[in-house]
Amino acid sequence: MNKKIKQTGTLLPVLILRLFTLVFLLIIGGKVFSQETPSTGAKVTVTGVITDSAGRKIDGASITPEGKKKTGTTSDAFGRFIIDVPSGTRLIISYVGFSEQSIVATAERKEFTIVMKILEIKPAEEVVVTAYGKKQRKEAIVGSVTSIKPEDLKIPASNLTNALAGQAAGIIAYQSSGQPGQDNASFFIRGVTTFGYKRDPLILIDNVELSTNDLARLQVDDIASFSILKDASATALYGARGANGVILVSTKEGKMGKAKINFRLENSSSQSAKTLQLTDPITYMNLYNEATLTRDPTQPLPFNPDRITNVQATINNAPGSNKYVYPAVDWLGMLFKNRTSTQRGDVSVSGGGGVARYYVAGSYNVDNGILRRDAANNNNNNVKFENYQLRSNVNISLTKSTELVVRLSGNFSEYNGPLTADGGFSTDLYSMATHASPVLFPAYYPADSANLKTQHILFGSVAGNNFNADKDYVAYSNYNNPYALLLRGHKNSSESRMSAQLELNQNFSSLVDGLSFHGIFNTNRYSYFQSNSGYRPFYYNVGSYDKKTNAYTVNWLNQVPNSATEYLEYTPGATNINTFIYLQGSLDYAKRFGDHFISSTAIVTRQQTVYANATSLVNSLPYRNLGLAGRATYSFKSRYFLEFNFGYNGSERFSAAHRYGFFPTIGASYVLSEESFWDPLRTVLTRAKIRASHGLVGNDAIGSQRFFYLSDVNLNNGGSTSASFGTNGGYSRNGVRINNYPNEDVTWETSKQTNLALELTVLKNLNIVAEIYKNHRYNILQARTYIPSTSGQEATIYANLGAADSKGIDLSADYKQTFHNGLWLSGRGNLTLATNKYAYVEEPKYAESWRYFTGQKINRGYGYIAERLFVDDAEAQSSPTQIFSTNGAAPKGGDIKYRDLNHDGKIDVLDLTFMGFPSVPELVYGFGLSAGFKNFDLSAFFQGQARVSFFIDPTRVSPFVPSPDWWVTGNTQVLKAFADDHWSENNQNLYALYPRLGTTNSNISNNIQQSSWWLRSGSFMRLKSMEVGYTLPRSLLKRMKIDNCRFYFNGLNLITWSAFKLWDPELGGNGFAYPIQKVFNVGVNVNL
Amino acid sequence: MRSTTNYIFLAVLLLGGSCKKYLDVTPDNVGTLDYAFRNRNEAENYLFTCYSTLQSLNDVSANAGFTTSSEIIYPNDLQQHPLNEAGFNIIRGLQTAGSPGLNFWDGGGGGQPLFQAIRKCNIMLENIDKPADLGSVEKKRWVAETKFLKAYYHYYLFRMYGPIAIVDKNLPINATAAEVRVKRQPVDTVVNYIVRLLDEAIADLPPSIVNQARDLGRITKFIAMSVKAEVLTTAASPLFNGNPDYAGYKDKYGTVLFPAAADAQKWKLAADACKAAITECEAQGLKLYTYAPPANITSLTDSLKKVLTIQNAVTERWELNSELIWALTSIFHGQEYCIPRMTSQAVANSGSNPAYFAVPISTAELFYTDKGVPINEDNTWGYNHRYDLQTGDDASFFYVKSGYTTIKAHFNREARFYANIGFDGGMWFGNGSLDQYNMRYVQARGQSALAGPKDIQKRNITGYWPKKLANYLTVFDNGFQWIDYRMPIMRLAGLYLLYAETLNEVGGPTPEVYTYIDKVRTRAGLQGVQAAWSSYSTNPSKPNTKDGLRQIIHQERRIELCFEAQSGWDLRRWKELQAVLSVPLQGWSIYDDQAINYYRPQTVVAPVFGLRDYLFPIQSYDIIVNDNLVQNPYW
Repeated sequence: MNKKIKQTGTLLPVLILRLFTLVFLLIIGGKVFSQETPSTGAKVTVTGVITDSAGRKIDGASITPEGKKKTGTTSDAFGRFIIDVPSGTRLIISYVGFSEQSIVATAERKEFTIVMKILEIKPAEEVVVTAYGKKQRKEAIVGSVTSIKPEDLKIPASNLTNALAGQAAGIIAYQSSGQPGQDNASFFIRGVTTFGYKRDPLILIDNVELSTNDLARLQVDDIASFSILKDASATALYGARGANGVILVSTKEGKMGKAKINFRLENSSSQSAKTLQLTDPITYMNLYNEATLTRDPTQPLPFNPDRITNVQATINNAPGSNKYVYPAVDWLGMLFKNRTSTQRGDVSVSGGGGVARYYVAGSYNVDNGILRRDAANNNNNNVKFENYQLRSNVNISLTKSTELVVRLSGNFSEYNGPLTADGGFSTDLYSMATHASPVLFPAYYPADSANLKTQHILFGSVAGNNFNADKDYVAYSNYNNPYALLLRGHKNSSESRMSAQLELNQNFSSLVDGLSFHGIFNTNRYSYFQSNSGYRPFYYNVGSYDKKTNAYTVNWLNQVPNSATEYLEYTPGATNINTFIYLQGSLDYAKRFGDHFISSTAIVTRQQTVYANATSLVNSLPYRNLGLAGRATYSFKSRYFLEFNFGYNGSERFSAAHRYGFFPTIGASYVLSEESFWDPLRTVLTRAKIRASHGLVGNDAIGSQRFFYLSDVNLNNGGSTSASFGTNGGYSRNGVRINNYPNEDVTWETSKQTNLALELTVLKNLNIVAEIYKNHRYNILQARTYIPSTSGQEATIYANLGAADSKGIDLSADYKQTFHNGLWLSGRGNLTLATNKYAYVEEPKYAESWRYFTGQKINRGYGYIAERLFVDDAEAQSSPTQIFSTNGAAPKGGDIKYRDLNHDGKIDVLDLTFMGFPSVPELVYGFGLSAGFKNFDLSAFFQGQARVSFFIDPTRVSPFVPSPDWWVTGNTQVLKAFADDHWSENNQNLYALYPRLGTTNSNISNNIQQSSWWLRSGSFMRLKSMEVGYTLPRSLLKRMKIDNCRFYFNGLNLITWSAFKLWDPELGGNGFAYPIQKVFNVGVNVNL
Repeated sequence: MRSTTNYIFLAVLLLGGSCKKYLDVTPDNVGTLDYAFRNRNEAENYLFTCYSTLQSLNDVSANAGFTTSSEIIYPNDLQQHPLNEAGFNIIRGLQTAGSPGLNFWDGGGGGQPLFQAIRKCNIMLENIDKPADLGSVEKKRWVAETKFLKAYYHYYLFRMYGPIAIVDKNLPINATAAEVRVKRQPVDTVVNYIVRLLDEAIADLPPSIVNQARDLGRITKFIAMSVKAEVLTTAASPLFNGNPDYAGYKDKYGTVLFPAAADAQKWKLAADACKAAITECEAQGLKLYTYAPPANITSLTDSLKKVLTIQNAVTERWELNSELIWALTSIFHGQEYCIPRMTSQAVANSGSNPAYFAVPISTAELFYTDKGVPINEDNTWGYNHRYDLQTGDDASFFYVKSGYTTIKAHFNREARFYANIGFDGGMWFGNGSLDQYNMRYVQARGQSALAGPKDIQKRNITGYWPKKLANYLTVFDNGFQWIDYRMPIMRLAGLYLLYAETLNEVGGPTPEVYTYIDKVRTRAGLQGVQAAWSSYSTNPSKPNTKDGLRQIIHQERRIELCFEAQSGWDLRRWKELQAVLSVPLQGWSIYDDQAINYYRPQTVVAPVFGLRDYLFPIQSYDIIVNDNLVQNPYW
């Protein structure tokens, strides 16, 4: 214990210091060579004006003498320039977005008016951002990279991930919650290709690894490029981290020219895309009676006819009715508004000159929840989620060959909302409201005569048996009063990430032609904290009621000291702090030798994350990665391309022997249409290219254990390993727990990937990309299954055993046509089909062939095969026994009858089998159409998924039974569809939507098993978004001195087509969760 | 220009020149198992780790002796599930091999993973020589304690599964598939192994706890000897000793796992072990407990003293309970399941007291009459009229509420009935009222009665409460104030009866057998066996035959140790549980508020308990993983 922890990170500050010294020196150095003397000769003074075709003056165009890039000038705000050059010098005039032009200045001709032509980008010249932010001409791409146009990701929602589905071939995405701030979509590149620990892609924003949340908060207006790297060749440089694909985003940089201001304002209104249809209170009571008696006729009637009549009177607001004694509460309506609003605004300024260019952007989003406010309460508990962002990207040309890029960004979120149990925003209130009985108690009582001086709200409830009342912060009774839980307190959280990034680009052409260096230093700091304050509500129930006078008294239920308080109690919430440091250095070499072009790249990276709030020593140690990667390419006549990549990566989590992994890939492409034999085809097939790649990529996020090669032993564990002795148990020791055994052999998960692609341009305007791929993932970390419990091991033993196979197709097409009258049309569509299966899983030797995972699709559900409902009790008794869990009761008529697959006379785990499609869709598609005419534009985008299944979660939607979530207590409300169509003595439909009712989990335990009864197709198609825009006419804009101004109206999740009608199919099995939102939005976008 | 370039190359070197140590982030002193034995203090921590599983066994809801005894019924239709119901539901026929309740083989369904506990003991024994500062005396004691624990965990498994795998040495983590596929060992081998370990432990265990404030609960010699007596008695009992139901039951290699024929000698070994344990216990000052009222209780009638003696023999603090051989340090959780609502405040606070534990009529009828004989044998009591209504009077003042109408069966019963059972009209000394003339009592008829069913969650489904499990000073009124106690594993009274049982099996009725039964009966305020039966029984010669006396001893043991998680095990080893559970378990008609309607027996559970349920199933997955294991008979 006397050795100190090794200080291995001390080099880092030194490095940073040196880097800054370096920058300083470069600045000094830069001054020196901007004063280089020009070549000699008879000088002429050339003057001119540069405009675009519309006659507007171009500010910041560069004018350089040919071959002398280090000299030259730029045009001023009036498009004018002046330069002294030797007579006969050819001057190159260039400006971003326009074609280069050249003029020859002589003593005779030294005044020019230059009209720049807008550069028309041909597909082959499109630039694609690939690994480590390298920009490559699309033509030269060998790997599988899909770029999404940032504007396609612009949807009226504050979450970027919600826009991903159907936008790019190769992404499988779906969104299973609509709750603001918690509504990240799940997304996978080319589907789920492993059954290991981390299945989602690596996310890099400006080359720095960040989380899904960071991606979700990114402002679309700030995005310069959005690429998805899919195959081995594209991801190889990320070596051990790229096996699940990579999402690469870069933010905008400033361009030379006068300051451009872009601002956008949006105001949205959102509402549930589909609302749950719950049954009315009277039906609820009648069904509750039915559910009780159908299981046990000896039980007393929970709601007698008198009570039902009185509740009906309340609903009718009949004279003499009393809504407090006989309540009928619409909890959802009580807690939630129908719609809410969201505001978003962002502004950016960009511009710059020859020395420095800047892009500065700020944004503010506010998402309001849909909770109601109550006048009786001074806590404003409605959800308010605010996000601020500031981003500043500055490019400084220190010298003609040295560029320094400084990127500073801050992302700040503030949340205020009700005190909830699940750490979420309001999902649990939604669950509570859907799991609260409408007739047991009212939300609150007005003060009766005995309580006139009471200061607190008299919340309704029923005495419960939560005997931890004095400890439990959330629930005090058997029955949650959702209204009390809404009002009782609030939770605040604050989240921020500050990122500082310094990049250095140095061109070494002066030393070696074609050599350049690129370096990045990034650090970001993340912090999150939360605070909660709330009182413990006072619960009351009706004590006595006099029907004649319609007067009642209330009883205070939770009199146990400290179980009800009028004052707020404060509880600190979770805090989460971490720091991240990243260093990258790369050397690039690219040179053309006639028809031959070679390039190579070598990249060194290292990164470190440290968590402040680690719960154990090992988790407090820095998380590190070290990587060396390289790429070499060769191309001939821009027709044949060959590429070799490798990643050589180290992760601190493995033993020294397995610490580094080598992941090589090879790829090639061939542009057929460059060949002369293609000429006859060219009129139809404008362009054709095939490409292929093959190689290995790795994944080091293979398990939750921190260091696989070390044992993880808690020498002061407490809880289940502690023991105490003495007269009052006064002497205790915490004991030892082995969390993990050491395993020196654990290593990378590896993916062997093969990709084939065909790119076609048909009739100039239709571009098609089709790809097929095959991945074989192996060394997936998996628990050993041959070790019996008699070995007494406290922790599971894992090994790199598993393997998974996946294959699929990505298809995309886009089309654009402009007509002479100014009408333009464009269409795009894409489709991703991704299938996978367990190729090898270590499994025991089951006697039943249907139990093996090997060969099954990943994420495919399994359960019992439901045949139908039992005809009657006699049939249920004479059938194979179906008793589930040791709490279960035997089934009766109207309960689900399962198939006895192994014919052993009982239904048990041996009869479980796989069914349906996987829960992650195998097919995701999207297609859209846009059109514009004069100042109007219109677009619509459809998105859908297919080959997906889900199980309705019967434990959460079954009427009357409590939810399995510990914080949700009470009786589940009844879906109207279940009320209308369930098995009962009067409706003995063997295929009813819902089987025989029951009021407890144990008496419906037969029906809440996962089975084909609850299996549904998750396929749907929706009109995901639709937008109408109007751009103000140019003449008007000119007078207002505005470059561009567009108003638009759009909507999200507007129409959904699905065979499943109970709730939005994208929510999956739990329909009683916060619904996906339908949004209507108006916005304005102005460029100054 | 040149200098700039140099700086950039330098930067590249700095960035790229990967320091070899960059990924070596783990410091040398990351805790591994070696650190658990660096010194005495750490080793003591590990000793406690070995004890920890034992202390977890205090949860009666996971104890088959409690949950499958028929003494307590736990409703299985509750909306909330504060307890693991797996154990209680076994008698409902819900046990499965696919997912067994009370799975102590793997840990699951409420059960503790006992093989893990055994592995911990082996780790302790493998490493005990490492701490340099551990003195030899203390080391000897710790080794003995660890051996006891290892033996007890094996015994617990043996009691549930019969022939089990013996894990005397740990297998290495990287053992091959063939090595880890252990076999089950024959019953006799298992018992011999357990007894050998216990003998090794007994030699080195301390005779008593010197420092009670710190060490009470650690294993002593008399605890180990008493456990040895129980192990040998269990091995001699009909379930394991020549049980014809398991005849010829073999593993895949032909090894016979159960002894083919009964061996009477086993009873002799058991009797000797009982005698030795009793001698050691008495030498250490243990004696049957008698209640002495504290200063604040000024007057207390003898009949209530008897009741409190019987209650407190279980619920008294360990250090004050002279007959407690062994309990676990953890307290008994669940007094709130046992106390009926007796005040209106208690009704208002009914949330804090669910009172689920319901006693069936058959258990209430097990207790003797005040003459000390079974109610159906008593020639003075009137067994056939036991459900006739009768109103409390002066004669029954301390037992039945005066003037309250209940049934005849609640009158003229032995003190243990009144100490064990809370019933409609029954008096309840304690619960906040220590005045014997102003006692609280139970009103249980109908929903409006204080103790009656309030809703599904708050009801006692039979109308009988296990009163003995609540300390008389525990108050359930305006809130719940516990007086904690520890559930005994062994009491001297139980050991006496065990000795009587084994002696009777060895040689039939002898004076010594009567002596040890009568010690227990006398303390309960009853006449001796011979006197009681000859005077009051319709079968006066019953105690004179081996069979008759066996029945008497079995019933005596069930009465004396009622609700103490013993009879579930006893009835198994006697092979009597199937008979006990072949009749419906009944309660009163709890929703009726008129006595005439209330006292109609209603079936609450129709138990399902087959021959196969005497032993627990090994989870079927385990047999797939280790094909050297064979499933228990009939599963």
